[in-house]
Amino acid sequence: MVEIRIHGRGGQGGVTLAKLIATSRFLRGMSVQAFGLYAAERSGAPVQAFCRFDDDTIVNRNLIYEPDHVVVLDPTLIGPAIVGGLKPGGWILLNVPEDPERFASEYPANLVATVDATAIAREHGLGTRSVPIVNTALAGAVARILDFPLEEVVEAVRHLGFSDANVAAATDAYNAVATKKPVSVPTPSDNGSARPGAVQPTLTFLEGGGGSLPLVKTGQWASEQPARQQYVPPCNHVCPAGNDVQGFLHALAEDRVDDALEILLRTTPFPSTCGRVCPAPCMASCNRIELDGAVNVRQLERYAGDRGNVSLVPAERRSQRIAIVGSGPAGLTAAYHLALFGYGVTVYEAGSQLGGLLRTGIPEFRLPHDILDMEIGRILDLGVETITGVFVKRERLLKLAQSHDAVLVATGLQELRGLNLGVADAEMVVQGIDFLDRVRSGDHDIRLDGEDVVVVGGGNTAMDAARSSLRLGAKSVRVVYRRTRNEMPAIAEEIDEALEEGVIMDFLTQPVAIERMAQADGDLGEHHIICRRMELGEPDDSGRRRPVEVPDSDYAVGCHRIILALGQSPDITVFPEGTEVHEGSELLGILETPVYAVGDLATNDGTVTAAIGSGRRAALHIHQTLTGEVLVEDGQARVRSDVDVWHDEVIKSDALRMHLFERQGVTEGAALEPERRRTTFDEIHAGLTDPSEAKRCLSCGVCNECDICITYCPEGVLKRVGHDLVFDYAYCKGCGICVTECPRNVVFMSQL
Amino acid sequence: MPVEIVTGNHAAGYTLAVAGEANRNARGATCGIYPITPQTEIVEKVAAFPFTKGRVVPVESEHSAMGVAIGGSLGGARSFTASSSNGLAYMVENIMVAGFYRLPIVMVAVNRTLGPPWNIWADQGDTLMLRDFPWIQFYCSDNQEVTDLTMLAFRLAEDHRILLPVLVSMDAFILSHTLQETDLPTQEQADRYLPDLELPHRMRHDDPKTLGGLVWPDATTTLRMESHEAMLQVPAAYEQCRTTFKDVFGRDPGAALDTFHTDDADTVLVASGTVATTAREVVKRRRAAGEKVGLVKIRMFRPFPEQALRDACASAVKVGVLDRDYAAGVGGVWWQDTRAAFQGRRDDLLIQGYLVGIGGGDVTPETVDRVLDDLGGRDAAGGPVWTDMKPEEVVA
Repeated sequence: MVEIRIHGRGGQGGVTLAKLIATSRFLRGMSVQAFGLYAAERSGAPVQAFCRFDDDTIVNRNLIYEPDHVVVLDPTLIGPAIVGGLKPGGWILLNVPEDPERFASEYPANLVATVDATAIAREHGLGTRSVPIVNTALAGAVARILDFPLEEVVEAVRHLGFSDANVAAATDAYNAVATKKPVSVPTPSDNGSARPGAVQPTLTFLEGGGGSLPLVKTGQWASEQPARQQYVPPCNHVCPAGNDVQGFLHALAEDRVDDALEILLRTTPFPSTCGRVCPAPCMASCNRIELDGAVNVRQLERYAGDRGNVSLVPAERRSQRIAIVGSGPAGLTAAYHLALFGYGVTVYEAGSQLGGLLRTGIPEFRLPHDILDMEIGRILDLGVETITGVFVKRERLLKLAQSHDAVLVATGLQELRGLNLGVADAEMVVQGIDFLDRVRSGDHDIRLDGEDVVVVGGGNTAMDAARSSLRLGAKSVRVVYRRTRNEMPAIAEEIDEALEEGVIMDFLTQPVAIERMAQADGDLGEHHIICRRMELGEPDDSGRRRPVEVPDSDYAVGCHRIILALGQSPDITVFPEGTEVHEGSELLGILETPVYAVGDLATNDGTVTAAIGSGRRAALHIHQTLTGEVLVEDGQARVRSDVDVWHDEVIKSDALRMHLFERQGVTEGAALEPERRRTTFDEIHAGLTDPSEAKRCLSCGVCNECDICITYCPEGVLKRVGHDLVFDYAYCKGCGICVTECPRNVVFMSQL
Repeated sequence: MPVEIVTGNHAAGYTLAVAGEANRNARGATCGIYPITPQTEIVEKVAAFPFTKGRVVPVESEHSAMGVAIGGSLGGARSFTASSSNGLAYMVENIMVAGFYRLPIVMVAVNRTLGPPWNIWADQGDTLMLRDFPWIQFYCSDNQEVTDLTMLAFRLAEDHRILLPVLVSMDAFILSHTLQETDLPTQEQADRYLPDLELPHRMRHDDPKTLGGLVWPDATTTLRMESHEAMLQVPAAYEQCRTTFKDVFGRDPGAALDTFHTDDADTVLVASGTVATTAREVVKRRRAAGEKVGLVKIRMFRPFPEQALRDACASAVKVGVLDRDYAAGVGGVWWQDTRAAFQGRRDDLLIQGYLVGIGGGDVTPETVDRVLDDLGGRDAAGGPVWTDMKPEEVVA
């Protein structure tokens, strides 16, 4: 019996070569076997095939351990392993262009034959240029070294239905094979050198010693290739300030606090402020909600703002000067960006202190003044000049326009909405904004001890006024709101906290009058506020359902003080008659100087973060108008340098591989107990003690260099170079495991 | 059909197909197909066959693959499928149904280790799991046996004395993926060998009835006894099928078991599948050296050929049973059945079990030598011997 072992790589046709050899013997009437050694190999892995033939019926079924001959399909497999168990004097047939002499010293106990089957297969167009199919050529070579007539192998090739090109390849190889007799003539007992476990000579060219054998560029076998892509994370998409939320979270996740702050300061000068008072639409849109709750972005922004340290250096000073009216978040944000661009900026503020509503309208238990002062100080350090105590009216605005290269008006919402409740003491009805300002400016010296307070409205001012009232000693605080909680514009967390602290809320309630009830004993008695029940009707222009009065539903609530928080509207008398207000567009055509309205004055969005975004856009627009330099606003979302495909669409959770993420609950910072809160204007929230919450960020659609793809790449063809992910396409077979293992959909397969 | 060089899978798939096609003048053929390594090529071969009449139905699981065969068979079609390993485990409920429905279904199984641990190589534990099912079972030693027993299985199953499904098994890769010269049946031969299928209890749309519904214990017992009676008829029916096979194909598919040098043997090995052919070489060599050893290769596992086995071991004092399977807490399945065959009849006989090639380990002549050496030194049988373990690895 003759036994042959074939060394090849998965996909090269080793089993077919075994079948070709077996068929040529079978056609001569011999008993044959041909089989492979099967496991979980993929294309390109080293594999073995075997062939047996004998004149007698073959009955043994075990593997071949001591072959009579070996054939090597792939030059890269040439090494000690191929002669393991090989019987002395047996043939070693190698698919290489070199002369067999080249290998004589490595295999002294065996006959060596070589044939360039790869070149022959290419010449006859067998397989592809990159993956030639060499088995029919090698079948011809085997026939030659084993002294089978050429006709027999040709007959086998035809018997198995192969084409004429294969017959030609077998014939060429049959004629081209070169042989070398053994250096030492083996004797039957001299079989030690080839036994398994015996030390075998190592071929130097496999270690880069100067040989010309090609490595197998397995990448040429690929029909698909992985590449990198990036989507827009939902948090970045919805942030009104335009912050790179994913970016600063990524920096925090790696405990790079200064870098996180630097990323935030690219867009906003108020991270510590927004980290306390922002309604955080980023959290409402967070894909992690589906898993175990949104990432606590607000607290993480606060962490970066409070703890980060970044030195800002403005650009070289420019000659142009910009006037900004109003020092709220919109005006100061515009001032910040314009100062960074190098412009001379002067901010005019009617009040005595900077900050606008940030200072006057948000109580200290939510936003301590030292935090606000710190962030405003960072803006002033850029060289921004300020003039306080100056109320800019129409005439002054026209003068500013003449003396500056651009004017921004960011006066916010100054017109307070009232409510006619009939006769009452002037002291008794107060506007919420005024109330909060008075509380702040008097350093909390007002006392409401024993009073029943009614707050009318459903926004943050209503919540802040109600909660401040509690802290000032009010006996009871009741918020009346004409819609339901679902329609309340206030931040949900603030509503929750107000309820925790003991604020009562009457929904679907509208105050209609104030009465003073004389008591039987002659006492003047308490005021009563007469309330009317409402129900929700059809949606109005704002999309919210319109409250409709319920007939005969009036009821009285005793109270000592009524605080109105019904919203504000812009005071546009600063502009000349007939001016239309548009955000970021030129207002006064009669003037050469562009004048911009920004912030709530223009947008009425009513949030700090929207005002910041408006101020920044205005600054960018002014810069573009003055210099012609176009600044790509969404550039901040594109944070990687080596992405192949940019998607402008927002990535949703269904595009993430959620099952690859581990559950990890939200981290909340410490907060004062509700009982304690009622007695102090100290800040409620202590903030996070470490940035680990940022590690919960899924980094949706943006590579965060988790390198799972590199870990799972079975071929080792992926590596990271700096921030770049480098695919070695010469060896990547396109298995796609990197794609299926990427939890954030950053790697995709592209057809070749 | 000339002799071809084909794999066991090719032989099985082709033979199933021509057998099914041979029923084209009656109710045709049906086959439910679902892939699993290492049998997938069988159902691929069947799916590619241009049947004149019938349906090959790709389904979503092995359970349904057998379901298709059951439905097709009840409708009078010659029905078959193929599976392996954990696929068979998932199919089990319907395998039982096919048996007690008395349907002449033929299934080719490629013996693959049942996971876990995951393992694709040869081990008979998957089909031997079905040993108590009302199925006739054959185990093959080469591709020719795969071909011949698959063909014979239809004639045997459809014999009205039998009406039991037949399982034809082959070792994973060692047969399923190994090319070997094989004499394949022509369609003309299959047509001659296999009469049109006539199922006595065939379901007809114009005569609806319920099969396998709720019955009392006595009816269940009756049906079990009928299956047992049919099993008892198998050896005689098999011999008749074998004789007819020789007439049509000109070769012998073999008896329920083959004996080799057993006539005067004092030591007899019992083996099946490809292990038996390797053992045969060792016995041949030892015979030449003067040892009185013999071999029984069992082809038919169900019904177990007890009498033939007793006859073959008449002169033996020691019997070694080679099992490529493991029955938990017991040892080899073949060993158990061998012991049962001699229970109360040859209590002087030493019957020792050996576990060889578990999980697809290569069974070499050296393996068989170790078995015979162990057996020769024994005074009494003991627990199963794990031959693939090196002595230092055995934990007492």
